[in-house]
Amino acid sequence: MISRLKEKGAGDLLKCIQCGSCTSSCIVNAVNEYFNPRRIIGSIVKFNRLPDQDPWLCSSCSICVERCPQRVNPLSVIMALRMIKYENGDAPPSRVFELIEQIKKTGLAFPLSNEAYEKRRSLGLPELEMDEESLKEVKKILSEAGF
Amino acid sequence: MSMTLYLGCLIRTLYPEVEKAVYEVLGRIGVVFEEPKGASCCAPLGLFSLSKNAWLRLNERNMRLFQSTVLTVCDDCFASLSDAFKILSEKNNVRVPEVKPFGKFMLEKLEEKGLRFSFKGLRCAVQHSCHLLRPARNVDNAENPMVVKNVLEKLGYIPVSYVSELDCCGGLVFEEKMRDAIARRKAEALEKSGADCVVTTCSHCMRQLKSVSRLPVLHLAQLSALSMGANPEEIGISEILLRRMVNP
Ligand code: SF4
Ligand code: SF4
Repeated sequence: MISRLKEKGAGDLLKCIQCGSCTSSCIVNAVNEYFNPRRIIGSIVKFNRLPDQDPWLCSSCSICVERCPQRVNPLSVIMALRMIKYENGDAPPSRVFELIEQIKKTGLAFPLSNEAYEKRRSLGLPELEMDEESLKEVKKILSEAGF
Repeated sequence: MSMTLYLGCLIRTLYPEVEKAVYEVLGRIGVVFEEPKGASCCAPLGLFSLSKNAWLRLNERNMRLFQSTVLTVCDDCFASLSDAFKILSEKNNVRVPEVKPFGKFMLEKLEEKGLRFSFKGLRCAVQHSCHLLRPARNVDNAENPMVVKNVLEKLGYIPVSYVSELDCCGGLVFEEKMRDAIARRKAEALEKSGADCVVTTCSHCMRQLKSVSRLPVLHLAQLSALSMGANPEEIGISEILLRRMVNP
């Protein structure tokens, strides 16, 4: 499990001393104790299996990365968990696919709201459209990654 | 020297007033810039998360379109582009463009030109975006960030301090209830600060806090453009906010 996580960019989990600095700085833990980066790492190291905590709850704020005395980079572990869970067939939030679909459509992750469209026009801002060639390249990258 | 402007997705699709403010600022301080039309979303990993390789390839493609220092107007773009460029530079041993976040850019420009603007008396609570500060991005002091506050002071505003200043707004949490709970928590702290408005340099913070905050939430570009004399209506500064200023 640890080597699979490392392949996905996770930091050195074995250096973790379970001090809890990550958890005590974590804003998500502050509103919901169930999400606990110290325990996520602990359960991987101790039981060598995927923790059941949902890695999609993390806000990627990186304060755990900054404050970990062992430079474990808990966020990198959580991001690797997202990728592994996805590969294992665990569906990510549908929102992720909406973002990807949108990038395939316009090159941007968010759709242009009607209100913003009107406002752009009244302010004389440039057209948003991406040229076809560029959009093709972007789609190719995404489809080659399986999207 | 010319720069590359990278506005990102949210500002262009949701906040045209911020985009307008950016053009006003660049025009008024005389920065020549290019905006590569073919650039795509920088697919920040916190959002996208499913393929590091696709993220890297999208940004390798973006990088090829950038001919000069890249100015970002959203700190999530700043982090995504600089992280990707760093990996690409190490992997391929190539020179990569510098990426400069809007706050830092403003501070440097104001210092270089010795600019200070008339006192406005507007009290601003800064929402420091996580991705500008962490992990150790060498843009600002991660535990005591000062860049945006210093810019505000030079622009004539009053930065106010408050408890939990470093707390994340929760904007990238995928689960809705939790995302709202974190936003409300942060919005309460901001409201208690006694500020007239919230200022940020990240479009995700902007969107997240706008959804719950009783205070107006502004991008630093809007206040920069206002100090420099832009038309308040065009850059999204409300009447109510103008009335709070001593020298609008
Ligand atoms: S801060 Fe670092 S060492 Fe401490 S529990 Fe978290 S990951 Fe482990
Ligand atoms: S990056 Fe994620 S796990 Fe780490 S402190 Fe922030 S929300 Fe918690």
